[in-house]
Amino acid sequence: MLLQLNNIFKWVQQGGQRVFLLKDINLEVEEGEFISVMGPSGSGKSTLLNVIGMLDTFDEGEYNFLDEPVHQLKEKHRSNLYKQYIGFVFQAYHLIDELTVYENLEMPLLYKKISGSERKAMVADMLDRFNIVGKKDLFPTQLSGGQQQLVGVARALITKPKLILADEPTGNLNSKQGEDIMELFKQLNDEGVTIIQVTHSEKNAEYGKRIINLLDGRMV
Amino acid sequence: MLKNYLKIGWRNLMKDKTFTLLNVIGLSIAFGAAILLAMSAFFDMSYDKFHANGDQIYQVYDVAQTPRGQEAGTSQPEPFAEALRTEVPGVEKITRYLQDGGLVIYGEKEIDLNTVWVDADFFSMFTFPVLKGNEHDPLQDQASVVITESAANKLFGNEEAIGQTINIMINGKEEPFTVGSVVGNVPPQSSLEFEVAVRFEKNAEYADTKGVWDSQYHGVYVQLPSGVSAERFEKNARSFTELHYKESMEAAKRDGAMPDADGLYRQLKLLPLKDLHFTGYRKGYAEVSRSVPYLILGVAFLILFIACVNFVNMSIAKSAQRLREIGMRKTLGAQKGQLFFQFWSESLFVFLSSMGIGVLLSILLIDDFKSMFRTRISLDMLAEPWAVFMLLATILTITLTAGGYPALLFSRLGTIQSLKGKLEASGNNLVRNALMVVQFGIAILLISGTLVLWGQVQFMRNKDLGYNKEQVISFPLNGKKNGHEVLRLLKDELNGNPDILEVSASDNNLGRGKDGSQWSSAIGFEHKGRNIRTNALTVDYNYISTLGLQMAQGRDFKSEADSLGVLINEAMARQLEEKDPLSARLEVGSETGLAILGVVKDYNFQGLDRAIEPITFFMGEDMELRYAYVKVAPENMASSFDAIEQTWKKLEPNAEFLGSFLDENVDRTFQREKTMATMITSGSIIAIALSCIGLFAMSLLIVAQRTKEIGVRKVLGASVASITVLLTKDFLKLVLIAFLIASPIAWWFSDQWLQNYTYKIDLGVWFFVAAGLLAMVIALLTVGTRTVSAAAQNPVKSLRTE
Repeated sequence: MLLQLNNIFKWVQQGGQRVFLLKDINLEVEEGEFISVMGPSGSGKSTLLNVIGMLDTFDEGEYNFLDEPVHQLKEKHRSNLYKQYIGFVFQAYHLIDELTVYENLEMPLLYKKISGSERKAMVADMLDRFNIVGKKDLFPTQLSGGQQQLVGVARALITKPKLILADEPTGNLNSKQGEDIMELFKQLNDEGVTIIQVTHSEKNAEYGKRIINLLDGRMV
Repeated sequence: MLKNYLKIGWRNLMKDKTFTLLNVIGLSIAFGAAILLAMSAFFDMSYDKFHANGDQIYQVYDVAQTPRGQEAGTSQPEPFAEALRTEVPGVEKITRYLQDGGLVIYGEKEIDLNTVWVDADFFSMFTFPVLKGNEHDPLQDQASVVITESAANKLFGNEEAIGQTINIMINGKEEPFTVGSVVGNVPPQSSLEFEVAVRFEKNAEYADTKGVWDSQYHGVYVQLPSGVSAERFEKNARSFTELHYKESMEAAKRDGAMPDADGLYRQLKLLPLKDLHFTGYRKGYAEVSRSVPYLILGVAFLILFIACVNFVNMSIAKSAQRLREIGMRKTLGAQKGQLFFQFWSESLFVFLSSMGIGVLLSILLIDDFKSMFRTRISLDMLAEPWAVFMLLATILTITLTAGGYPALLFSRLGTIQSLKGKLEASGNNLVRNALMVVQFGIAILLISGTLVLWGQVQFMRNKDLGYNKEQVISFPLNGKKNGHEVLRLLKDELNGNPDILEVSASDNNLGRGKDGSQWSSAIGFEHKGRNIRTNALTVDYNYISTLGLQMAQGRDFKSEADSLGVLINEAMARQLEEKDPLSARLEVGSETGLAILGVVKDYNFQGLDRAIEPITFFMGEDMELRYAYVKVAPENMASSFDAIEQTWKKLEPNAEFLGSFLDENVDRTFQREKTMATMITSGSIIAIALSCIGLFAMSLLIVAQRTKEIGVRKVLGASVASITVLLTKDFLKLVLIAFLIASPIAWWFSDQWLQNYTYKIDLGVWFFVAAGLLAMVIALLTVGTRTVSAAAQNPVKSLRTE
């Protein structure tokens, strides 16, 4: 089992009242799954994704990732964990504008303290695989949205994560570009990468093997 | 990793050139100014520290209780030093020290050189290394002199100096001396300055004062053996004082003086050599004050602080644009420490380059700085190890605080929030506003300081001193001829010139002349069973009318025949406590005493930091005249000045003419105030400029952040004016708060400073209001340009960009 959420609650205090963002979430994810999380705006999709990605904390419940109890880990340990096993893809790509495509891809490797020659090889490999060798010296603003997201996915994959978390990866793309990205996800999943994506689109959700529906922080 | 940081840092800097430029310019100016100011402050503080035995050398001064209160002075009588050496244990070395101008004659050359008259111990106590000639005990022989390298050049040019015979004018006679040693030039940070050192026994007063205890005219320096403290020596010296000053102590007791805390009426004290440069005795004790160098350092610090505030504020404000990067880096596994290091290394980069430019600036500007502030710093100071160390320590501290604070803030941001691009709380604004208040507070503080300083300088310059300073020229009688003789010749020569109204002379100058000398002489005597102390001035008979002084009572000197009478001023008359001062006789000099012919109205013959003291005017052929005074007609002043110079050249062809109008002399006495005023003015200009850079940058950012708000307001019908007010109001509020905080502080400092002056301006509220208004107007102009253009923009445009 890759990860397991048991009775996860997350809330914020608003005007003296608890407003629940996540309410009693129980979820088990096996390796190799492709899950689509759906639900209306404000239902807690992104929050759930952030909790799974360890970017956000929760207030109650247990979270085990590869048999490590995340809720008991210190920040540093936690960041080592997700640095190693999780890759993120965002709706707004979140590439760093001041770095070239090559340097954006290289950055996660820097934080993993991988040696220079190895970094070179891994980035070259990734550029090759996504057919963007010719664009490696361009800055993100010089690319189209689809190309930027391609770089975003490549960056998420470069550390060879077990799990990809994608928060509306096609939200800023047109339908053709979106389809390309989804095909790419399908292909990655076939290669054994576990994927959890948040999406609004029924069509994209169909790419997943399992669909989770959220409403007001609850799984329905 | 570092390469990656620097790369992204560099690209970020280049992306927003305006901000980078504003930052670097501000910091460079601040560093440049701070380096120069700190150099001059450290230069000042390094005074008299080059002597190897410096820690054991002290200047002797005494503190006496008098009916007028406590008085302190450094003048000692001739037998004092020798008596101290033999009677008080713990004197390792001792020297008398008398500084005086000396006319040195070598062949055709007659040069007025700075001459000191000292004992043989002088060169073994103080560290003035001998370059040539006798190295050990250079002054052992009374007929030999020590000269400095520059004096040797002036006198002998390229000739060998050792063994040369020079003549020195002593008591109107030329006396020959042999040059025994040449020492290196006196370092600029030395309180003891000389070009020629002669044995003390050779000085003009020596013959008359030998063995006389009540003629005090020179300083004394002692060197204690290591391990003997000054306090112990001072205690040991009490019986010495009891013995030699018995009479004057009893007289003080009789006249109603109060004993000091130790129950004594007179004490001998030691002042460490290190403190010499910073000490004044005006208040009746040795007042050691290093406030000037500390003030300069303070200004340097404030300027740096303002520039750093700019940096912090700009970094924080700019962080909004980098939030996504921060968030993304966190998502990719960056830890707090790594993020901190990234942002800190970026700021280090900015600081290092600014520091580099700052050092360059200070090198370029050092000459102007030196002439403007009359300091003798040199660039060599920058190359010294401690200076390099200081620079590095400063930059480390600054980057850690100014660069570290924003870096710390960024590294602490939450991942999700920064990814969303939202800053958490408004806490940052509080810090930002507080920093801007401090910044403007400093600017207002410096501006009001400037206004008060210049106000006082103007006041002193324009004050009616009680004599005619505009029409009178004074110059030293620095030739070979006797003062009375040369004065008669001068009068004869200038007689025919209709623009020359009157010629007179005295033994002292008013203000500080071009020769740079300033001294006072005082006498004490008994009058009806009380001790009287008065300043003494030898004058020519028409001194009073030449200077335009007013008589309050009695008559002026009529001719040279009046030499048995004296004139006194009103302060002296009050001290005598006579119903009719004209009937009194002063028991000075002759047996019968001197008649008081008249009372002169009080005038400020000393600086404006003192109240008018008693003064007595003497006249007599046997007393020396050292300065000539010439009153000229208000027309053709320049040609009159030339005529006087020509006449002097004719009478004393080898002597330099150092004449100047008395108002220039008076101006010269404010040199310290003027230098300080210039320094504070420059400091406040820089402070204001830097604050404006910061304010301008902040206005750019805030306007950018509020573009949407401006757009919405305009769509809803707001006018350009109302939006400008809205945007400007916040800044002005900060300036107002700064004003409220800074003015009381400024008032306190100004008031403290003005306490040093007996004659001073009234510290009106207007000085501070003016400073506040000035800051306000400058802030308004800086912010206004930006806000008006933002307010005038088409709202559709600003809404679309959002």
